[in-house]
Amino acid sequence: MSVEKCHVSRFELLMDAGFGAQKAGDILIRGFAHTGRYVYIEPMFPAEISPPIRTRAALSGVIVRVADFDLKNIGNNTDIIVAQHEIVLDRRLDDAEHNPKCRVLLDMGDKKANEEAYENACKRLAKLGLTVFPFDITEKAIAVIKSLSGKGKNMYYIGMLSAIYNVAEEVMLTEIKAMFGEKLEEDILNKNIEIFHCGYDYAKIHVPFSFLIDEKYPAKEERILIDGNAALSMGIINAGIKLVSGYPITPASSILHTLAKTFPSFGGVVHQAEDEISAIGTAIGSYFGGVPALTATSGPGLSLKQEFIGYASVAEIPLIVVDVQRSGPSTGMPTKTEQSDLPAAVYGSHGDHTKVVIGVGNVLDCYYAPALARYLAEKLRLPVFIMSDFNMANSYKIIKKPPVANMKTADDIPDYILNHFWINRLPDKIEMVRTEQAVPGTPGKMRRVTGLNTDSTGTVNYFAETNQRSHAVRNEKIHHVQRCLKEPELFGKVKEGDLLVVGWGTMRGPIAEAVHACQDQGLSVGGMCFRIIYPMPLILNDIFRRFKKVVTVEMAYGDAYKRTPLAMFLRTKTLVDVNPMVCRATGRPISPLTIRERIKETIKEMGKT
Amino acid sequence: MSSETDQQLPAGAPAPLTIKELNTENPRWCAGCGDFSIIMAVKRFMVNKQLPPHMTVNVSGIGCSGRAPFYINAYGVHAIHGRAIPVALGLRLARPDLNIFIHSGDGDALSIGGNHLIHGINKNFKCVFIMYDNELYALTKSQTSPTTRKGHKTNTQPTGTYLDPIIPTSLAIGVGGSFVASTADWMPDHLVKTLEAAFAHPGFAFVHVSQRCPHFDPDNFDHKTSAWFSFLTHEKGIPPDSRLADKTEVVQHDPSNKEDAFKYASSQRTYFGLFYQNPNKPRYDEILQNLIKQAPATTLESMFEEFKI
Repeated sequence: MSVEKCHVSRFELLMDAGFGAQKAGDILIRGFAHTGRYVYIEPMFPAEISPPIRTRAALSGVIVRVADFDLKNIGNNTDIIVAQHEIVLDRRLDDAEHNPKCRVLLDMGDKKANEEAYENACKRLAKLGLTVFPFDITEKAIAVIKSLSGKGKNMYYIGMLSAIYNVAEEVMLTEIKAMFGEKLEEDILNKNIEIFHCGYDYAKIHVPFSFLIDEKYPAKEERILIDGNAALSMGIINAGIKLVSGYPITPASSILHTLAKTFPSFGGVVHQAEDEISAIGTAIGSYFGGVPALTATSGPGLSLKQEFIGYASVAEIPLIVVDVQRSGPSTGMPTKTEQSDLPAAVYGSHGDHTKVVIGVGNVLDCYYAPALARYLAEKLRLPVFIMSDFNMANSYKIIKKPPVANMKTADDIPDYILNHFWINRLPDKIEMVRTEQAVPGTPGKMRRVTGLNTDSTGTVNYFAETNQRSHAVRNEKIHHVQRCLKEPELFGKVKEGDLLVVGWGTMRGPIAEAVHACQDQGLSVGGMCFRIIYPMPLILNDIFRRFKKVVTVEMAYGDAYKRTPLAMFLRTKTLVDVNPMVCRATGRPISPLTIRERIKETIKEMGKT
Repeated sequence: MSSETDQQLPAGAPAPLTIKELNTENPRWCAGCGDFSIIMAVKRFMVNKQLPPHMTVNVSGIGCSGRAPFYINAYGVHAIHGRAIPVALGLRLARPDLNIFIHSGDGDALSIGGNHLIHGINKNFKCVFIMYDNELYALTKSQTSPTTRKGHKTNTQPTGTYLDPIIPTSLAIGVGGSFVASTADWMPDHLVKTLEAAFAHPGFAFVHVSQRCPHFDPDNFDHKTSAWFSFLTHEKGIPPDSRLADKTEVVQHDPSNKEDAFKYASSQRTYFGLFYQNPNKPRYDEILQNLIKQAPATTLESMFEEFKI
């Protein structure tokens, strides 16, 4: 086994759903993290629980990026693929996310019964110029797997990958025991460990290459490994929110799962409602009672909640809505990512109404966003959105242990959270449609709220002037936010120049990485990503004017005739001819490499004209 | 948290609550509308119980009944169509100290809000649910509702309503209601007594009120005679209306008898009174609040330990 030193590497483990690929990914990244490497993991799994094995629909896998520097996204193409059989491999090759030098380790266990299919897969690999390393799980391991009713191959692959990435056996053993120690009976656990050792030993002897990534991060600093939805759940506790309601929906459900176990310890209620509409209604009821509440959903749920969202805006009841976006429209692809819900969040409900939309781009954003959402929702008494997406929700990342704010009131929001989202504190006095906003239980201030138009006393009123005033007051709340928004961070050293690449939410990592790389090569390209996507800062025009061309990168559909949501918003806001540079609704994240290539092409084209 | 039932003003408090203090603006309902009687009964009940208005929230959906919270000087939420129950549940979970009344029409409760009604009843969270049943959509100008009687002509089914109506009390018992009563807007004494029994019930109290709509269906509910209905009564039930008790049949019915309750609810004859009550049904709101009480104390800092690398 030769040893190649490298700074970053990306591998994939591809298996049939139900055979433990996700668990294997969890164990591997913990092993890497515990030995001082930075990791970023993206799970891929079907929307179904257990599709028929050995079918293309059954693909369940993990993509893991390991590095000796801080990772902000899942990165570029894959260097190593470990595949359980030829079908999941063939399916994944369609996505064309492999490196030209990618090495493929293909388990030949199913070959006997599928000779032709295996040959075709190997032919395809040869055509792509990829090197294939066929292997058979050792007889000893096969015997143990048989005694576990066919389960346990994932342990073998963990063993192989540990050897390939030069992680000591003891490290992974600790992780395996931590993962299964309490869940599995001792002899079953031991069998799993035996399979792991077999895989490790096999790779040490038979796989001719291996990678060594330096252990980099300082041992002293306290670090956590956390995914987007868990970070958001911790952020909900940190913000002092006391009621979270939802209806089961992928990929938002895990927020409910995480909180269901721990929220009562913080005086919080997790409420699983009978439907999406009920879930938001319950959050509104709680907030009317003065208790901060949030509802979490995904696209189809967002569509159902729209009437109540407009209601909260008009009734001036604070409200926080989390939308973990998935591929749409309609049921779409529940376990794939996209950023197409932006217009539904900004303009969704009928009539003119007002709201603030936050877009999260990394786990720290996820942790801080509920605090900001609470602050804005209560100060402005309107709905505030936190827009995440499938990838953000499920991707793990290592971060420094974040500070705890333990907010009791909205005003407790620390400056570092406001600064994180590039927003100043709102003015103390903000006019409401209704002067009185007392909470039930306050003697002598009894009041009724409604979705009907009212005057400033809260009396129902259908007169022209009053309705116009209500609109003006509601919109002024949003204008306050605009005036408080500061200039978003521009990546790297280019603050003016040829090209500005703009994005929002989870596109931040890939854009930042691509823009930095291009700047290092001397290109005049800047990059920027919004953390508050609606409303937008007043200073936007000034920033855009400093560049010859402004483009967007979005995980949304666009073509020559149809502009993507962010491009559309930016054009309206600035009258600058903003077009999408990379826009895809493939359900796959956009890689820094793709952005880098498109930046180079775009600058080249600009030179020609 | 303090019990919901013991919030009467302390003895010797300077100003006892009166009807006058509970009045707001003049209701925007048609003359002769049964809704006037229902909110008056709510006010009389509040005065009888000396229920502090600042601790009371009326929650409603959309329709003529939806306006009820505006005309009672307590806290109120006029929500969206069919969705008063989810809002009321949020209030109950957040604020166990408040008294919560839900006002919902037949279309609001049984049509657009049907799903929430089923689950509100099943969750059995503490509230008084008043169903204003005028047996049609009125605010939108006379369309067939889930309780419109078969054959009755409406703007959407002009040859006469096609289907048999849903029976609200039967539905409520069927989905596990822990308190199911029926009364009528034109018998104020019975209406107030029903509200009192409902308020004392530890759970979701379903109160069906037959309500006159003189504008769109003046012939429905012959409130001048009483031979067409009977009262259900019992020592554990609700006394018959004091004015009408001697003018019609009064039936002894034990409200813990579910089988008989079904029989009376689905009968061709109309019965008013307490059909069914089970004071021991578990309450969703109580269960969640107990989870909080029993949860071990922890901190966010210690939770981060679980994620530590």
